[in-house]
Amino acid sequence: MSLAFVRHGGFLAWLAAQAIAGLPALATASAAAAAAAATPMVTASIEPTQIIMGESAELTITHSGGSNEPVSLPTVEGLAFRVIGTSQRTEIIRGATFSTTALVVRVTPAAAGVYTIPALTPDSQPLVLRVRPEGSLPLPGHLGAAGSKAPDSSKAAEGTAFLRLVLPKTEIYVGESIPVAIELRLKNGFVKTLNGLPKLTGAEFTLNNLSRQPERSETVIDGEGYTVLTWHSMLGGVKPGSYSLSVESPITIRIQTRPQRESRLENMLGDPFLQNIFGATVTKDVTLKSTPTDLTVLELPTVGRPPDFSGAVGSFKIADELSPSSAAAGDPITVRLHIAGTGNFDRVDSAMLTHLDGWKTYPPTSSFKAGDELGDKGEKTFEQPIIAAHTGAQTLPELAFSYFDPSTRSYQVARSGRLSVNISASQADRSLSAPATGAPSPPPSATPPGARPVAQAGSDGLRPDHPEAGAAYSALTPLYMRPRFLALPSLLTLSFACGWRVLRRGTPAGLGRRRRERQLSKAMQRQLLELDAAANAGNAARFFSLARSALSVPVGSDLGSESNDVRELVALADEATYSGRDVTAIDFQRWQTVVRTRLLREQSS
Amino acid sequence: MKAHPGFGVALLALLLAQGGASGANTPPAADTGVDKEPASLSANALYNLGNAYARANQPALAILNYERARLLAPDDPDIAANLRFVRAAANQPSPAPTRLARAVAVLPPTLTAWLGVVGVLCLGGALIAGKSPSRTGLRRSSVVVGIALLGWTGVSAVVFWPAVHAAVVVTDAAPVRVSPVPMGDPLFTLPMAETVEVTAAHEDYVLIRTRAGKAGWAARANVVPVVPDRTSTW
Repeated sequence: MSLAFVRHGGFLAWLAAQAIAGLPALATASAAAAAAAATPMVTASIEPTQIIMGESAELTITHSGGSNEPVSLPTVEGLAFRVIGTSQRTEIIRGATFSTTALVVRVTPAAAGVYTIPALTPDSQPLVLRVRPEGSLPLPGHLGAAGSKAPDSSKAAEGTAFLRLVLPKTEIYVGESIPVAIELRLKNGFVKTLNGLPKLTGAEFTLNNLSRQPERSETVIDGEGYTVLTWHSMLGGVKPGSYSLSVESPITIRIQTRPQRESRLENMLGDPFLQNIFGATVTKDVTLKSTPTDLTVLELPTVGRPPDFSGAVGSFKIADELSPSSAAAGDPITVRLHIAGTGNFDRVDSAMLTHLDGWKTYPPTSSFKAGDELGDKGEKTFEQPIIAAHTGAQTLPELAFSYFDPSTRSYQVARSGRLSVNISASQADRSLSAPATGAPSPPPSATPPGARPVAQAGSDGLRPDHPEAGAAYSALTPLYMRPRFLALPSLLTLSFACGWRVLRRGTPAGLGRRRRERQLSKAMQRQLLELDAAANAGNAARFFSLARSALSVPVGSDLGSESNDVRELVALADEATYSGRDVTAIDFQRWQTVVRTRLLREQSS
Repeated sequence: MKAHPGFGVALLALLLAQGGASGANTPPAADTGVDKEPASLSANALYNLGNAYARANQPALAILNYERARLLAPDDPDIAANLRFVRAAANQPSPAPTRLARAVAVLPPTLTAWLGVVGVLCLGGALIAGKSPSRTGLRRSSVVVGIALLGWTGVSAVVFWPAVHAAVVVTDAAPVRVSPVPMGDPLFTLPMAETVEVTAAHEDYVLIRTRAGKAGWAARANVVPVVPDRTSTW
């Protein structure tokens, strides 16, 4: 199909729509003007026609033409009528004035059932209101409670989408989780997209395990097709108190931009694509909100609360098991505690066996197997490995689990039975003892005492036993791998090292002499350096003074036993000190040699 | 039914070693456990005990006792032959000993240890003898002998190291886990009578390594070390 054909077809449809919407309107107006002037007309409608107990419906009574006489509200047993608003509209058609007054009445049932509201005029039909019990499933074709039409924030979606929250009860306990359904009704062709999942409007409750994909169904309400999307979730109260609870959901809808009567053909065509072509709709993002529902969150009682209560609220049953039922000492045994039922399994916890004499216990682990998509029903299993330290028949203490049952409004303690297990000695313990069911050994081969048995295999494929006991050992570990034995060669090595060091360096007296010699040599080196410095500076007085000091010849001492060189040096020293005699460089070298020779001779001696 | 004399010897040795199993002061079996070692052991008694377990169709405990006997008498051909036989019956491999291992096994580890001490004495004596020309020949001989004896001892220790740190699986299927706790994820399962190497221990678990190189934590109750408690031995 070409685009031109589509446009051509759209133009024809537009013309037809104008003819259907416009011409009858003119004719109706002319006829109504004449009729209305004659007799007043009272009509009534109720919406929705089916509600759930706890909700309300709206009764609209329209009085047009004639005098504005007050309309008396109907009286029906079990229904309460309360006027919540009025509206008045005046139209002037060809000079005639038409006045229409609408009275909006809230109808609230006292109990579930089918109510008949009598006709307000003899010509009209009585109205029927069906009220389902509280907690029942969503009604087919039900549009929600009064006010479940989109409130202020979503007025644009009025008549196009509806959101409601279905609660099974109006009182819950803190920590208790109840299944809820969030129902979103979308008029076919007018809701473009869902812009997110439904969510709670307040922070007093939590919505857990919201289904990612809603259940989808179709329904017809007042001749209009609706798609119903239903999410299931678990609702939990965070803190005690009375709250008003509602949910909201963001959507994008198409809104009709022309009056209903002018878009009949588009609606008859039912195709949003054609409606867009005619310019009948625009898209708009809105947030739907459900009618607030009162929900009371009760605090868990403190009286009778078990010490091991972990916050589990619901109805549970427990069972335990032990596997295996018999084991060897040292083998791990698994204790399992099964907690099945309905409730908040995220708060179901058990410390299992914390301490047992004669047993080694490990921290338990848990796993949850859900019985439904919401996780409200299922079974939580705790597994704890334990290891027995002693052999024999042993009995484990009973396991207990505490929870709060909202149906009885009291705490319950579920207890398991006592578990028995038989612990035998482990293979490791029997490794050094004879086998209990050993077959008789074949007779040993005839070997002379002290000789090794003949290396021939017996009938069982094994070489025969050794008759003699053989050498006895204190341990299986080789001697050179035992720390105490390794101390022996270590001590020997240390002793040899000390002895070698002592022998190499001699006795303590010798060590002292070497130390003195080393000190003497250092002093000599220092004196010779000072002599060199004085000679280089040409300081004869300091040179000879240092030389006299180096030769250990004090002033005025007897030089009879000294050599000629020493005596001459002492004389020159005195002369240089007292007369200031000049000394040449050659003299310095000579007397340095004399001093060095004398010192080396003294050191070597 | 006539009891086998060798079996009686094995039992007698064990009774003597344990100070009388029926004594009033004897702790329960689970308390004595695998970590305890008898006061004295003999290679023949362990060998006979291994034979008894082999005849009782308990190959794991037979292999365990053969391995223990081989630590005390590595050159005993009967122990090696029966160990190979039982391993083959239990579908376990018997790796052939290397030439070096066969050479080292000529001497028992205890004698080798004392020879190592002699080697230390020889080297120490050569060190102290000094550089006296009259003792040069003796000193050189001492050095050569000392180094040879110490080398022999070192090679023996290297050869016997795996056997000292070996353990035998004594249960049908011992799970090996990634961590030393019962709820650790299982890695693989050890068959009965397999010999593994123990590299570490933590509470009720030991870290084992198989011949194929796989490692993990196995329960002490399932894996019995050849040398029960190496830290408490002299």
